[in-house]
Amino acid sequence: MRLSLLLSLFLAIPAFAQLKWDTTEQTLKANPGDREIVATYRFTNTGTTAITIDNVHTSCGCTTAALTRNDYAPGESGQIVARMDIGNRTGHQEKSIVVTTKQNPKSPTVLRLLADIPQPVVMKPTFVMWALGESPNPKTINIKVTDGFAVKLLKVDSDNPDIKVEVSEIHPGVELEVKVTPKDTSRPEMATLLVRTDYPSDNPQTYYAYVKVK
Amino acid sequence: MTALRQAGLILLIALGLAGVTAAVHPKRPSFLAPPRDPNEVTLAQTKQWPGTVLWVDARSESEFASEHVTDAICLNFENWTEQFPKFLDRYNPGQRVVVYCSATSCQLSREIADKLRASGVEDAYFLEGGWEAWKQQNRP
Repeated sequence: MRLSLLLSLFLAIPAFAQLKWDTTEQTLKANPGDREIVATYRFTNTGTTAITIDNVHTSCGCTTAALTRNDYAPGESGQIVARMDIGNRTGHQEKSIVVTTKQNPKSPTVLRLLADIPQPVVMKPTFVMWALGESPNPKTINIKVTDGFAVKLLKVDSDNPDIKVEVSEIHPGVELEVKVTPKDTSRPEMATLLVRTDYPSDNPQTYYAYVKVK
Repeated sequence: MTALRQAGLILLIALGLAGVTAAVHPKRPSFLAPPRDPNEVTLAQTKQWPGTVLWVDARSESEFASEHVTDAICLNFENWTEQFPKFLDRYNPGQRVVVYCSATSCQLSREIADKLRASGVEDAYFLEGGWEAWKQQNRP
């Protein structure tokens, strides 16, 4: 009886994964000027046998995950470094990195990278529209530099002379109010507003807002 | 009777161990579903909406070229500057916009829907289950 009881207990003990992660989720905030977000996930092989990480897969083409080597003896530690390219991304971003081991291929570990990427310049809204025949009353776009960014708003140009733009400085260089008025709404029109800045100094960015009569 | 007692004892111990596992196992399943995002919609919901939905495919341009929802526009973080004006050509204020990416696990559709709302597209939603769900429910 004792033997069968012990055997039953042994079989009932759950098999924990051998890799122990310091954390499987990281929340990071991008700073002004950052071009990528880097997160490091450290782990230790707490099992009694060697373990091989045979696949590391990211959920987005914008994210890479680098592993220094694949095999880890018991007690050995390692890390995965995930790099997310910021590019045009803004706001709250969630990426995942799926790590599969040779010893436990059906139970991958999912690492999560949560990132908040502030936008240097915020336009609300980024487009204004008039329906054909609608009264050509002005519509307003507010343009503001996000706190913490050393951006100066230089000027706003329209690429269509039939779309009139009137710029008021609420806080010079930092916040503008742009009144947009189409000359005529009886025919389709479109314009791109070019919001020129001095940031970053090595490659000053232009932001775009759009105007349509349709 | 002894056998029954033994079986009961084994069951109790197994239940105790299972309880410990459920409490501390790093990969224990979540029994509480996370709250649903109010901007997430199902395909069934979109079919009940009046008017035409503007579909936005947030996947890569190569995936879009291979297959996509009829009349969808490809718009993602990589092609935003070029594609957003084309999106505006198709969009009418007040129209509902539904963004999808490849599957449930993909977050891109939510992120693009967020960016559209921040840009001034008020009714921007993302599709539960993404392209996989659409394909499954629209099989020929």
